[in-house]
Amino acid sequence: MNKMILLQARAVSKRYDAVQALFEANVEVYAGEVHALIGSNGAGKSTLIKILTGAVLPDTGDVLLHGNQIPHGDPKAAIDAGIACIYQESNLVPNLSVMDNILLGRQPTRRMGILDRKAQRARVLDLLKKHDLSLDPDAVVQSLSTVQQKEVEIAKALSLNAKVVLMDEPTAWLSQVEVEKLFRSIRKLTADGDGVLYISHVLDEIFTIADRVTVIRDGKVVLSTPIGETTKGALVQAMLGRQLSSEVSTLRREKAEKQIGPVAIECRHLSRAGLFQDINLQVHRGEIVCITGLIGAKRTELVRTLFGAEPPHSGEVLIDHQTVHIRRPLDAIQRGVGLIPEDRRRDGLLMNLSMNHNLVMGFLPLVTRLGLLAPDLVRQMGQQQVDRLGIVPSRLEIPTRHLSGGNQQKVLIGRWLAGNTGILILDEPTVGVDVGAKADIYKLLHDLADAGAAILIISSDMEEVMTVADRILVMANGGLIASFEKGEMTQEQILNAASGELIK
Amino acid sequence: MLKKIYTQNFGLVGFYLVIVIIFSVLSPVFRTPGNINNLLTGFSHIGILAIGQTFPILLGGIDLSVGAILGLVGMATFDLMLIFGLPGYVAIPIGLLVGLLAGLINGFLIVRLKLNPFIASLATMASFRGLTYAISGRQLFPNLTVLAIQDPTYLAIDGTFGFIPRALVYLLILAAATYFLLHNTKLGMDLYAVGGNENAARLAGVNVNRAKFVAYLISGLCAAIAALILTSRMTTSPEGLGIGFELSAIAAAVIGGVNLQGGSGSTSGPVLGAFLIGTIYTGMNLLGVTQYAQPVVAGAILIGAVGYDQFVKARRKKDLQEQLLLQSLHQMKKGG
Repeated sequence: MNKMILLQARAVSKRYDAVQALFEANVEVYAGEVHALIGSNGAGKSTLIKILTGAVLPDTGDVLLHGNQIPHGDPKAAIDAGIACIYQESNLVPNLSVMDNILLGRQPTRRMGILDRKAQRARVLDLLKKHDLSLDPDAVVQSLSTVQQKEVEIAKALSLNAKVVLMDEPTAWLSQVEVEKLFRSIRKLTADGDGVLYISHVLDEIFTIADRVTVIRDGKVVLSTPIGETTKGALVQAMLGRQLSSEVSTLRREKAEKQIGPVAIECRHLSRAGLFQDINLQVHRGEIVCITGLIGAKRTELVRTLFGAEPPHSGEVLIDHQTVHIRRPLDAIQRGVGLIPEDRRRDGLLMNLSMNHNLVMGFLPLVTRLGLLAPDLVRQMGQQQVDRLGIVPSRLEIPTRHLSGGNQQKVLIGRWLAGNTGILILDEPTVGVDVGAKADIYKLLHDLADAGAAILIISSDMEEVMTVADRILVMANGGLIASFEKGEMTQEQILNAASGELIK
Repeated sequence: MLKKIYTQNFGLVGFYLVIVIIFSVLSPVFRTPGNINNLLTGFSHIGILAIGQTFPILLGGIDLSVGAILGLVGMATFDLMLIFGLPGYVAIPIGLLVGLLAGLINGFLIVRLKLNPFIASLATMASFRGLTYAISGRQLFPNLTVLAIQDPTYLAIDGTFGFIPRALVYLLILAAATYFLLHNTKLGMDLYAVGGNENAARLAGVNVNRAKFVAYLISGLCAAIAALILTSRMTTSPEGLGIGFELSAIAAAVIGGVNLQGGSGSTSGPVLGAFLIGTIYTGMNLLGVTQYAQPVVAGAILIGAVGYDQFVKARRKKDLQEQLLLQSLHQMKKGG
C-alpha cells in the first residue's frame, strides 16, 4: 500500500473550561486506508473530528492535508481543502429537498448566483447512481425515514469528492443491509486512493473495514496500530485502561427461575392502524424482555403506545392484572411505568438544566414540603442516584449537555429510579454509549430485575440482546413474529426471524 | 409557478375566497370596483412590510423595528424636501438608503453583537422612533405641520399606471423578485439552509452571517419602500407613522405560512396574508362594525385562518406518513 500521509493532526490540544478534551493528539490518515478511531464517550473523539472539520478551534496544534496547513476553525476552508464529514447528529436542513441538502452551500449556479437546477439534478442523480443509493432527489428531507436521512448525509459527504472522509458513528442508525452498502462505498473511496477516518463503538465493524486503528483515552492517543496486529480484547483494554471484556461476558444473565414473578405489564391485541397489529406480550416482574428487529419494525411506536404517548386504536393494556386506560404518559407514570426514549436529547433530557434537575423532575412531589420545592430534598434525591449509578462527573450542578452519552443515559435511568418505578421500558438504551458505561447499565438492569422490576428493552444490538435478555421477541412489519427463551436461540436465528424469514 | 404558489397556500386561498364571498353578500358596497381598488391600494404597504418581514422570520429571527423604520424614512424624506428643499429624485434614494442603513444596524446588533433578534429589534424600534421625533421637521419648524409635500416626482410614487394603482404594482414586483430570489438563487437556498439548520449550513460552508445581514437589509428596504408610498399618499409624514405596523406585518407573514421557527415559507403567502387582514378590516368598516370590536373580530378570524391552514397541513402530513409506511412495507416484502 502507498504510504503517503493524507491527513495529519499534529499535537492538537483543546480545553473546555476545566476539562482537557484533547491533549497533544497525533493522528495520521494514509491514502487508501480506513483508519478507525475508537475510545469511550468523552475520550475526545468528537472534539478531534470537530477540529479536523474546522467546526471547533484547537488551542494548539495543526491540521495538515498533503502536508499543507489548513486554517483553523473555518469549515469552508476544510471542505475546500478536501475534508468531508458525516457527523453523528443530523446535519441536514429538514425543509429542503434531498438534492439541495446533498449540494448544500455548493449548488451549481449560472450568472449572478441564479441556480442551475438542471446541472444540480444531473450531478445528484449521477452521484446516487454511482453509490447505489435509492433516494428521490426532490423529496423533502423531513418526509424521509431516519435511515434515508442518514443516506442523504452519506451522499452529501461523498459528493464533496473529498480526499479524506470523516465518519462519526455512521452506522448508529443503519440496519445490516445498509451497513454493507456503506462499506461498499467506503471501499470504493479507498480504492480511489482516498482516506477514511472511521469512528465507531462497534468493534466488529472496525475489524471488518479498518486497516489501522487509533485508540483515544482521556484526550490522549494511547494506541495506534495496524488492525492485523491487535485483538478486540486489546482494544477494549486500551479504551478503558483496564480489562473489561471478561467483565462484560460475566454480565451475561443467568436465568434464575425463582426470580420470575407475576405479570407486571401485559397487552392484548394492541393495534394502531398502519403501524402495528394485534400485539400480545407479557413482562413478568424480575424479567428482562428484549424486543429486537430491523429499523422500521415499529418497535418504538409500540412502546410509546404502552406508555400512553400515543393512543392505540384497539386492544387493551393490563398492569398488575388490571385493565388500565392509559391516555397520556402521566397515567402510565402513576401506575409505575417509566420510558427511556430512543433519542435522549430530543425526548428525554432537558439538556440546559442541571443533572440534579433532570434527576428529580419526574417526581417533584417527593421533594416538596408544603407544596414548595425543598432544596435539601432535591439534592438528597439527586445525590442518591448519582452515587447509585456512578455518574461522572458527580457534581449535581453540571448542565446535562456536558455529560457524555453514557452518563446522560444514566441520568435518564436515575430519573425513574428516583420514583421507584417498577416497570421500566428502555428504547435502544446503549446507542452512542461507550463500553464502560454499557457494562454499568447492564449490571444495573440486572440488579433492578433481581429486585423485582419488570424490564422491557428495545434493541437492535444483537450482542446486547444476547447479554441482557431473559426472553427475546422479534418484531417485523408491525407484528411480533417470534419469541425465544434464553438459551434456545442463536444470533443467526434471531436475525433470520427479524428479516422476515420465519424459521418455524 | 402559479400552481406551486397555489398549492403552497391552498388553505389560505380557500379561506380568503370564503371571506370575500361573505362580505360581498353582506355588503353591497364591498363588491363595487371602487372598493376593490381601495382594497388593492390601501393594504399594499402592509403587503410590502410582510414581504420584508418574511426574511428575518425565515431565519428564525424577527424584525420588530419595521414600523419605526417606516416612520424614520418618512420623516427623513419629509425633512429633505421641506426643510432642505431637495427635489424628490434626491430624497427618494436617500430615503431608501436610510431604510437599508436601519437594516444594517439591526444586522450588526444581531450578527456581530450576537443579540437576540427580538431584543435587538425591540431596542432599535424604540431608538428609531425616538430619532423620528428628534428630527421631526414638524416639531422643529411649526409651520411645516400644515405644509404638504408638493414635489411632483415624490407624489408620483403613489399614482396609477392607467387604472392600476402603482402601490399594487410595486407590491407585485417585489413579491415576484423576492420569490425568485428565494427559490432560484444560491442566496435564497442559503437563507432556507440557515433558517432550517444553522449549524448544518455553517458546516457546509454557507456564509451564515451574510445570510442574516441580507435578511435584515431586505426588511429595512421594504419598510423604506412602504414609507415612500404612504408619505406620498398622505403628502406628509406624522411622527407616529407606522406605529403598530410591525404586528400586522408579522401576522400577515405567519398567516402566509412563514414558520416562526424558521426554515419554511415564501413571500407569496405573506402577500395573501396582508390582503386577508386588509379585506377583513375593510369589510367590517363597510358593515358598520364599531372600531372597538373590529380588532377582536379580526383576531378571531385570523386564528380561524391559521387554524384552518394548520389543519390542512396536518392532514397532508398524515397522508404523507401513511404513504411512507406503505412504501416501506412494500420494500420489506420485496426484500424479505
